[in-house]
Amino acid sequence: MISRRNFLSLALGISAFFSIPKPLLSARFPHFFFAQLKYRGGEWDPNPQYVEPVVEELELRTSIDGEKERRITTLSDPDLFFYPFLYMAGKYEFEPFSSGEREILRRFLAYGGFLFAEDTMGAKGFGFDRAFRTEMKQIFPNYDLKRLPPDHSVYRSFYLIESIGGRQKVNPSLEGITIDTWTPVIYSQNDLSGAWSRDKYGRWTNECVPGGETQRFSAFKAGINIIVYSLTSDYKKDLIHHPFIKRRQNQ
Amino acid sequence: MSPGQLTFEPVIPVWLIVLLLSIGLASVLLQYWLLRKRLNRSKSLALSFLRLAAISLLISFALNPSFVARKEHRVSPSLAILLETSQTMGLSAKGDRRSRLDEARELLLSGPRPLLKILREKFDVKLYSVGESLTAVEAGDVAGLKAGGKRGDLTEALGKLQEKNAVTVLLSDGNLRWEDGHSAGPPVLSIPVGDPQEYKDVLVKAIKAPSIAFREREVTIDVTVKSYGYRGLTLSVTLKDGARLLGAKSVAIDKSPAEASVSFAFTPEEVGQHNLSVSILPQVGESVLSNNTVELSLKVVRDKVRILMVSGNPSMNYRFMRMALKNDPSVDLLSFVILRTPTDILNVPLQEQSLIPFPVETLFTKDLKNFDLLILDNFSHQLYFNPKYLENVREFVNDGGGLAMIGGPNQFTGYAGTPIGEVLPVKLTKKEDYRRDAPSRVRLTRIGMIHPITRISSDEKDTLNLWREMPSLDGINLLEPKSSGTVLLETTEGTPRPIITVGNYGKGRAFVLSTDYSWKWYMGMVAKGKGNWAYFRFMEKMVRWLTKDPALGPIQMILPDRPEEVGQVREFKIKMREEESSLAQRGPVSISVFNPEGLRIDAQLKSTGQPGELAGTFSPQKAGTYKVKIETRAGSLEELMVVSGPLEDQDAAPDPERLRRVASSTGGKILTRNDDLLKEIEAYAAKGERHFVEERRVPLWAMTVTLPVILILLGMEWFWRRRWGLI
Repeated sequence: MISRRNFLSLALGISAFFSIPKPLLSARFPHFFFAQLKYRGGEWDPNPQYVEPVVEELELRTSIDGEKERRITTLSDPDLFFYPFLYMAGKYEFEPFSSGEREILRRFLAYGGFLFAEDTMGAKGFGFDRAFRTEMKQIFPNYDLKRLPPDHSVYRSFYLIESIGGRQKVNPSLEGITIDTWTPVIYSQNDLSGAWSRDKYGRWTNECVPGGETQRFSAFKAGINIIVYSLTSDYKKDLIHHPFIKRRQNQ
Repeated sequence: MSPGQLTFEPVIPVWLIVLLLSIGLASVLLQYWLLRKRLNRSKSLALSFLRLAAISLLISFALNPSFVARKEHRVSPSLAILLETSQTMGLSAKGDRRSRLDEARELLLSGPRPLLKILREKFDVKLYSVGESLTAVEAGDVAGLKAGGKRGDLTEALGKLQEKNAVTVLLSDGNLRWEDGHSAGPPVLSIPVGDPQEYKDVLVKAIKAPSIAFREREVTIDVTVKSYGYRGLTLSVTLKDGARLLGAKSVAIDKSPAEASVSFAFTPEEVGQHNLSVSILPQVGESVLSNNTVELSLKVVRDKVRILMVSGNPSMNYRFMRMALKNDPSVDLLSFVILRTPTDILNVPLQEQSLIPFPVETLFTKDLKNFDLLILDNFSHQLYFNPKYLENVREFVNDGGGLAMIGGPNQFTGYAGTPIGEVLPVKLTKKEDYRRDAPSRVRLTRIGMIHPITRISSDEKDTLNLWREMPSLDGINLLEPKSSGTVLLETTEGTPRPIITVGNYGKGRAFVLSTDYSWKWYMGMVAKGKGNWAYFRFMEKMVRWLTKDPALGPIQMILPDRPEEVGQVREFKIKMREEESSLAQRGPVSISVFNPEGLRIDAQLKSTGQPGELAGTFSPQKAGTYKVKIETRAGSLEELMVVSGPLEDQDAAPDPERLRRVASSTGGKILTRNDDLLKEIEAYAAKGERHFVEERRVPLWAMTVTLPVILILLGMEWFWRRRWGLI
């Protein structure tokens, strides 16, 4: 006996197979997708509707093809190392990672993986912020999570950015852990994903305070820059870019 | 003979001899005391004396007395005469037609009483010629000796003559190899020939130049020129690369002899071996012209491999390739990533964008030739290239550049029927060729197991396992190799599809990686805890192969450090890469050597016994630059070798100063033809006169008279005893 749920799934699947036209090549094979880290304790998914708006913006402005559906992963996922962009968000303090999980995350990040983490509550020294900083110190005892300087590639990977927007304006800069020339961990407390989120009717889920829509626009720009940085690293530090960037910054 | 000496060599300890003598004396005294009871004093004394004499003689034999006689003998001294016969001895002695060798011969053979004749009467004379080697000659052959060959080695010659002669007489112009401070051997009496004041020559005395230079980095060559016999002259010194003039300098000469230095700085632009030459224009009356030009070989290599990489969009493939290329210190990477296409909408003013214009015109018309390797990564050319750029890329590869095409959804389709499609080792169609329906695992092909790019471990098994372990690829371009292409890596499922295909085009090489997921090979190994070395090595080898790094070439030639001279057998080693040697063994290995005129000369190849190693030899008969070409089925290699002539790079001026140093360090003397040569030679020979002493030893106990004396003494005692009624 087939259940109602299974019947509906099967029907939808068959109809999709016959009716959905084949999209363009470049759209079928995204270079980018979010892999969101699900962890124990706290609240791992504070803004579940952030993906589509930011990926739409990414595809509209850049040459990157993105996937509008995120993948949910854990630190024990064997495919973790093949995710181009690991995303972690939360409001509250979460359970500490196990030593095995820490070792996996350390290896992933030290050898080229990338993690963008957000404290969506924006409370310095409390909740997610405290737990995340503690974990980073455990994973990289010799490196500090610190403010990324204004000449960091993430501020110039696509847009020239001076200040980071978001649903809230807790920190105008991004923080990160930099190993040699690569910053595998970027951290924000401005709740970028909160500013990106939109409901199924196309309405913004959250107000951006205090800057309103300008602050939201700035959050999108920051999101695109972080994604482009994750795929190009310090490309914008190449000498050929210097005169152009300097000239534009002086305009 | 000196007077004889009596010596003692006791056979038993002296104290024992003294004890025995004491006992003997005591017994004689006892005998005297007993005799005095029966005989008068004189008779008792006589008998006791006879007994004492006999006992003393017997005991004294224990002292082993010997008679030693010495006789002194004198040995007539032997004398070595060394006549230099190297090529410079054939030059004019005093600016006339008579050679330096002629002058030396005159000293020995001319005059009413020739020096050689007198010396042979007085001494045991041995004659040698010193040219390329030390050769004993007969007195009658001196007149027929000819000058030729390279500099003689006096240090070696005196080493051979060591201890055999009392004195060595050397007739030379001083152009001999000599280690200052060498003092072994007999004293050398040097007689210089040739007149330095009459000698006229200009020459390239020394060149200080690197053997390897980097392309587009300035090279400085320091040249020292020397002149003899010219004053108030301006010499023109030129540096050429083949027939092309690289520089010319003027040197003012205002005294004789004079030495001056000039420096040439130039920037080599082409990689490869360059045959350079430094020359001075010949002057009137020069003794030697061949030392006016010196050739040298300069190998120009890349300082860094210059790579131009164009990526169609930001991607993981770009980031990991960039990481690997940046990790290699020998790579100079210029990369462009298309961050937005013309269809993407920008929503900020220019001053808020970091985008820079893609300088496609400059890159693909002017600058391309300055790169060694072009990487097109998932790059669709239609929006950026005009047909001319595609042709320029083809010419770039045809002229020796490398082209790597990295796959992806935007790659390949648009290149079908273009000049780039012609260069690639895969067939391109205008159909959609990218697939991402099922992950594809990979395996090495037979060639892939031994090819430098995919052989990422020296162990064949490790290499196979490494590639087998690589994670599957999520997207591949469905391509087919051309007949000229070589597939190194292919998919394992269904019909094998090439993943890595390589090929040659013109002087260049092309490489196709038909996936944009090679970065998974990096992270996949990291996930397994095996680090990132395999991906880095793969990328490094890909770059090295495409840019024809000699270290990855199928053949390597190892030349001797020391430049050889004409007439000497030139030997060098040829090494074939491990993975190529088996191929080469199945096919012939040929050697071709071309002389400076471009004519092929005899050359031999033989095995050294080491796997993949051969020894090549040829005998250069003239000075200049020789081209050696090795050909195998796996590839070919050409190298240039400079062979210098006997007088090239040689200062042929008479050098009495060197002869003075030779004489001084061996305890000899420098003589001139005005000295009384015979008297000087005799004086030195007398110092070296040898004597020996003959010594004869006659033991007294072995003399025939000894025993009768003892018997007579004992017999006389017996006779007197009987006469006097004691017996």
